[in-house]
Amino acid sequence: MGDLALNIAASGLNAQQTAMDTISENLTNANTPGYVSESAVLEPEPGGNTLGVGDGVRVTGVVQNADQLLATTAQQTQGVLSQSTALQQILQGAQSVLPEPSSSGIGAALSSFWQAWDAVNQDPSNPAPRTQIVDLAQNLVADFQQASSQLSALQGNAESQVSSAVGTVNTELAQVASLNVQIGATQGSGGPANSLIDQQNAIITQLASSIGAVAVPQGNGTTNIVVGGVTLVQGSWSDTVGVSGGAGTMALVAQTSGATVPTSSGSVAGELAAVNQYLPSYQGQLDATANALATTVNTQLAQGYTSTSTPGSDFPLFVGSGAAGLTVNAAIVANPQLIAASATSAQPDATNDGGNAQALAELYNAPTGPDAQYQSLIESLGSQVQAVNNQVQAQTSVANAAQQNLQAVEGVNTNDQMVQMLTYQQAYQASAKLVSTVDTMMQALIAAV
Amino acid sequence: MTDVMGTNAISYTPQIMANQMISNIDGAEAQQASWEEQLSTGNTINQPSDNPAGAAELMQLNANLSRAQQYAANANDGAGWLSLGNSTMNQVLSALHQAQQAVESVSGATLSTTPSALQALSDQVASARTQLINLANTTYGGQAIFAGTGNVGAAYDQDGNYLGGGTAPTRTVAPGLQVAVGLTGDQVFGSGTTGLLGTNGILAQIANDLQSGTSSSIANVEGSDLQALNTAVAQVSAQAAQMGANYQQVQAFATQATDTQQVLQTQMSQMDSTNVAQVTTQLTESQQAFEAALWATSQLSQDSLVQFLG
Repeated sequence: MGDLALNIAASGLNAQQTAMDTISENLTNANTPGYVSESAVLEPEPGGNTLGVGDGVRVTGVVQNADQLLATTAQQTQGVLSQSTALQQILQGAQSVLPEPSSSGIGAALSSFWQAWDAVNQDPSNPAPRTQIVDLAQNLVADFQQASSQLSALQGNAESQVSSAVGTVNTELAQVASLNVQIGATQGSGGPANSLIDQQNAIITQLASSIGAVAVPQGNGTTNIVVGGVTLVQGSWSDTVGVSGGAGTMALVAQTSGATVPTSSGSVAGELAAVNQYLPSYQGQLDATANALATTVNTQLAQGYTSTSTPGSDFPLFVGSGAAGLTVNAAIVANPQLIAASATSAQPDATNDGGNAQALAELYNAPTGPDAQYQSLIESLGSQVQAVNNQVQAQTSVANAAQQNLQAVEGVNTNDQMVQMLTYQQAYQASAKLVSTVDTMMQALIAAV
Repeated sequence: MTDVMGTNAISYTPQIMANQMISNIDGAEAQQASWEEQLSTGNTINQPSDNPAGAAELMQLNANLSRAQQYAANANDGAGWLSLGNSTMNQVLSALHQAQQAVESVSGATLSTTPSALQALSDQVASARTQLINLANTTYGGQAIFAGTGNVGAAYDQDGNYLGGGTAPTRTVAPGLQVAVGLTGDQVFGSGTTGLLGTNGILAQIANDLQSGTSSSIANVEGSDLQALNTAVAQVSAQAAQMGANYQQVQAFATQATDTQQVLQTQMSQMDSTNVAQVTTQLTESQQAFEAALWATSQLSQDSLVQFLG
């Protein structure tokens, strides 16, 4: 009699003890990132007693309250959010390079430049308004060069962000593979690998956030990592990724196969979009603006004459092309009288004629002129920043909701744990009481003999 | 149970509560910051992403405003030229009327044809010619106003030879509209033998005819010379009237350019100016929301069963 009851009580004590250990583990790790709360699984021990009384309780295992679907959803939404956030940061940087509307930006500089041509018309023989034209042209050139170099700096920063992200990614891929080995070994020898799995999940979340990695559990406890269809971790094997190409063609490549790794989410995807698409487009539109300025001014100048009837085509005001390469003609800088302000080549009319300068002033709203190009650049930049801002806002809500859903299942709810602790404590006390009671009964029996 | 965000959370963990609090505070703070920016800059469009189409339109309006300011400046400069031109033309006409009177006094029965009287008339005409040459060389800001675009310093040399060109300078006072602010010497004073100022011109011819005093030259003075002179003076009057009309025109366009500036500025402020009353109200509301989020976080219940179990 006593033997079986004592054994059963003993199993109860052990089981409740283990369950308390689980509670303790959960409470301790309530704030550990990536920790999945555990539950002890208690099952009745079947017994061989002919009357059908069981053999007590045993803990068959400590399982994680994991939900693979919720975890995957949370990782994916985080990846999408990271992509938009990374892109947003870079685009807002581009927007601050071209502060408009403003009284000190390129738009205002163009305005001053156009109006100054009317000052030449008011006194064509006077060197002062011509010198002013040269100064304003040089200011414009400097503004273009500065904006262009700032965009280039952004480009360089984004490219190096990709490179340094790749370094971290490679470390993490190796860690996932080595954890696969450890998990396989632990589970193979029959032990639970919960904390190793948690560690691996934390790293996989990082990978999802940086390159949009998708975790593919293999059912034997190991996890493969696939990015855009390219397998980067398989069991104990892991690949490394590198960066290939430059602006416009930058991509990740898997080192082993040389295949391109398409990234459709994650912060690296956002940075690559900026490097390959957005920043080159802004640089291109800025170049187009500078070229439009040069073409518009030089074409009109070519239709005029200097005060000595030299055709204006001999002395273009702007030379070079592109926002970084545009300069003011050195000959005109040295001698502003070479500016072809006269509309006629007849003498003596050309000596004090400002008709061509007058025509230049009216080009401020030319449909193919620099003002039109610049306004369209600002509008498209503004729209794209506005769009990515809205995306970040929307995706933040989605990512937060997914995270919340995941936490609700996998997180540690203190009150739940407290209640369970109470039940285990009571069960422990009951088993202990049983032991004491059986002991008393035995004592009574022995004393009676 | 469902929470206000519409997700079906079965249970709340402390991490969920903390994440929600952080998210709410960040959102309230961002909203507050954007109202503050509008209030402190006075503009609703502080960067292109605030309103991309509006930003582009504002830039266009700014460009138009600068141009309108320049039109006003051009018109004022033109008004200076034309005002000087008008007063000069008046003096030219009065000198010409005196010369006309002198010539007309030759005809008529009571003419004293003594050589000295004729010499006096000849000198009068000659000095009128000199005076006209000086008037023709009037400059505005260093530019001769009757030289067209041809010669900066002077329109005529002392012998009455024209130094200028055939095109009058203009000013742009409205989109695509130019107004002439000067006249060429040829337009006003004519040229060659029908011109007023040359050594072979009408006035020189009259002075010579008066000086020679022969009956045929007197007849010329009374007849063809006087006719030519009257024709030339009519031409000067017509040009003076044109210049007067141009002056009225630039005055009108100066006013129009100022009006245009006001219209543009109104448009720009409607698009871009912060509605101070409205934004102040919204800023106050968002500040209250922010404070409420902060307070709620401070009240974040540290309560759990742990406190209540022995």
